[in-house]
Amino acid sequence: MDDMEDDTTIFSTLKSFKSLISCPDRSLLETEPAFGRSGLQNLYTKRVELEEAAERVRSHTNLLQLTQEKQQMELSHKRARIELEKEANSSSRDLQREIDRNRELLLQIRRLEEREEKANQALNEQMENNKALKRNFEELHKKANEKDSKLAEADQVCVCVFCISVCRKMKKSMPEYNCSFNIKKLSLICALLPLICAVRLQELERRLALQEQDSVIVKNMKSEVARLPELEREIKRLREENTFLRETKENNSLLREETEGLRRKLERMERAMEEKLKVEKPEDLSREVIQIQQRELNLKQQNYTLNSSIRSVEKARTELMPEIAQLRAKAQEEQKKRENQDSLVRRLQKRVLLLTKERDGMRAILESYDSELATSEYSPQLMLRVKEAEDMLQKVQTHNTEMETQLSKAQEEAGSFKLQAQMVSHIHHHGNFLLKIEELESERQQLEEQNNILEMRLERHNLQGGYDPVTTKVIHLQMNPTSIAKQQRTEEVEQLRVECQRLRDRLRKIEAGGGMTTDDTTLIIPPSQEILDLRKQMESAELKNQRLKEVFQKKIQEFRTACYVLTGYQIDITVENQYRLTSVYAEHMEDSLLFKSTGPVGSMQLLETDFSRTLTGLVDLHLFHQKSIPVFLSAVTIELFSRQTVT
Amino acid sequence: MSKTLKGITLKGSAELVAEFFSFGINSILYQRGIYPAETFTRVTQYDMSLQLTTDAKLKNYLTNVISQLKEWLFDCTVQKLVVVITCLETNEVLERWQFDLECDKTAKEGSAPREKSIKAIQEEIRSVIRQITATVTFLPLLETACAFDLLIYTDKDLEVPEQWEESGPQLIDQSEEVRLRSFTTTIHKVNSMVAYKRTNST
Repeated sequence: MDDMEDDTTIFSTLKSFKSLISCPDRSLLETEPAFGRSGLQNLYTKRVELEEAAERVRSHTNLLQLTQEKQQMELSHKRARIELEKEANSSSRDLQREIDRNRELLLQIRRLEEREEKANQALNEQMENNKALKRNFEELHKKANEKDSKLAEADQVCVCVFCISVCRKMKKSMPEYNCSFNIKKLSLICALLPLICAVRLQELERRLALQEQDSVIVKNMKSEVARLPELEREIKRLREENTFLRETKENNSLLREETEGLRRKLERMERAMEEKLKVEKPEDLSREVIQIQQRELNLKQQNYTLNSSIRSVEKARTELMPEIAQLRAKAQEEQKKRENQDSLVRRLQKRVLLLTKERDGMRAILESYDSELATSEYSPQLMLRVKEAEDMLQKVQTHNTEMETQLSKAQEEAGSFKLQAQMVSHIHHHGNFLLKIEELESERQQLEEQNNILEMRLERHNLQGGYDPVTTKVIHLQMNPTSIAKQQRTEEVEQLRVECQRLRDRLRKIEAGGGMTTDDTTLIIPPSQEILDLRKQMESAELKNQRLKEVFQKKIQEFRTACYVLTGYQIDITVENQYRLTSVYAEHMEDSLLFKSTGPVGSMQLLETDFSRTLTGLVDLHLFHQKSIPVFLSAVTIELFSRQTVT
Repeated sequence: MSKTLKGITLKGSAELVAEFFSFGINSILYQRGIYPAETFTRVTQYDMSLQLTTDAKLKNYLTNVISQLKEWLFDCTVQKLVVVITCLETNEVLERWQFDLECDKTAKEGSAPREKSIKAIQEEIRSVIRQITATVTFLPLLETACAFDLLIYTDKDLEVPEQWEESGPQLIDQSEEVRLRSFTTTIHKVNSMVAYKRTNST
């Protein structure tokens, strides 16, 4: 569009230039010659100015052209570069392919070479085998030939022998016959001979083979049989050894037992020898024996005496024991008597003392009486007083006795009263007792019910597992399955939480990064080769796309400018299926023709615009009559051009 | 040995009860599916075929607990043994198998052995284990993964051994209880019962 704009500016400037040129002409014509000289001067100056303007315009256009050329050059450069890159890529790819092919071919060559070598080796081996076989075959052949020759010789010998025998027989049997007859027979026989001989040969061969086998067997048997006597000798020898060893074994055991017995005897003897005294002569022995015997006798005597003394002492002891008991009892009795006597004595002494005191008192009284009798003044008073005292005493005594009797009577009455009262009270309280019993019964029942309820509660409490903290406590092992399971559970939950958090972070990073998988988790998936290839492909495709777009853009521009220049119309697509054509020679910018595409074939229809209303004549002629749009358009162009140019 | 010859001694009774617990707990674990069935092997005991675990860790744990329990049975300081089954997802207790122990404290070390035949005791134990197997029919299914724990109720003044610790009774919230059979060796009496969590449908 820049180019277009440039071109339009060029044309507009040309137009303005032309208009300027035309205007001053008119203005010049209009102005009268009164302004003759000044008019010419003005003309000249104006012409100069115009030329300068024209030069400026020309330079401007040159500039524009140059810039255009430069842009075109750049475009061509870019294109060339793109193409070169493509070629380079393709060539590099080809090169790669060639290299790969080369490698493969080299590998194949190597493989084939190896196979060749193996085949050669196999061939060589086969050749060698062949040679060996050939040699074997030749040897066998030779052997066979030799055998044949031998057989042939044998054959001949047999034939001769047979002939001779037959001849002899013939001679024996029929000596009178003619020789010719014999000869004929002989000839016949000779003809038959080979057959017979062959048969015999076969038989003989068979017998030979059998005989050879037999000979081989016989040889083996001989060797074995030769070994037999030796084996028999060995057996005999071993048996003798066996018996001998068995006998010696028995002897051995016997001897061992004897030695054991002798050893024991020896030990005993040695012990006995050690214990005995150093007695060398039998006299000493006898003396010793006598001494020992005497000692024994003495000891026995002592023993007996001691025993007898012991017995006597025991007897005496037993006799004395009851006496002792009696004496003890007596002593005790005596002691008791003595104690009793002592107590009596004490009592008597006390009595004595009392009596003496009484006597003393009586003596004192008597003395006093005596003294009173001696002084007769105070005695009647005293006598009176004594009497009074005695009377008083008697009264008191009688009063006392009376009181005592009264008291006893009162006590009896009180006792009887009490009994009566008790009887009355019994009858009175009986009613109360009944009431109380009823109350107590009801209470008891209530208490029993409460007791039952409490027992049930206690039972329930017990069943549920309750306990009295004062007397009981509950314990369990610290490391028990429940606590271990709970611990494991919390650990699991914690682990899961941590993992969950980690996964959430990772997800957030992935969403933010949009494809970036670099984080601190251990789950890094390395971008596979496919993904890298695909990314490269994508980038190259995008590049291609972009370049194509640029190229298309440029091409479209070119085409449009070409159309505008060549046809004289700028074609714009304003709305879908509507084309606006603006002529290069249009007088105003908004003068345009609108065409609408009707149908896919390419048929167009002109739409009404302001400009088209001014061209009704042309429309009628070219579109309605001639029905040709290109002719119409060209007619419009010519019209506009004619309007513009000054003829 | 001492059991068969002269009747039941305190030591013999402790051994019998410990043996019962060992087989009983294995049966419960197998029946309730706490451990997979392929980790169990069949053995014959009390004239019936029972399942015994082959898992080494579990065996180790059980022998630890049972051997300590035997000592305490001998000292008559243990009151209850409870097998608690807990759901791992919700940490709820689903079942409690409780065995109450009553010990006759007059049977001391040197006292005369009691007259009761081993056969009779084994018969009683057999019926208890059969009943445990039968209760599985009405117990609710354990659908989630479960783990078990063994609690022992002892006297308050007992010295807690090294690897043991005090714990709560781990009761079931809203439970149904069923009392099962009991057996006695004349020195120890074992009462069995099972408590399970009431399901919402019932």
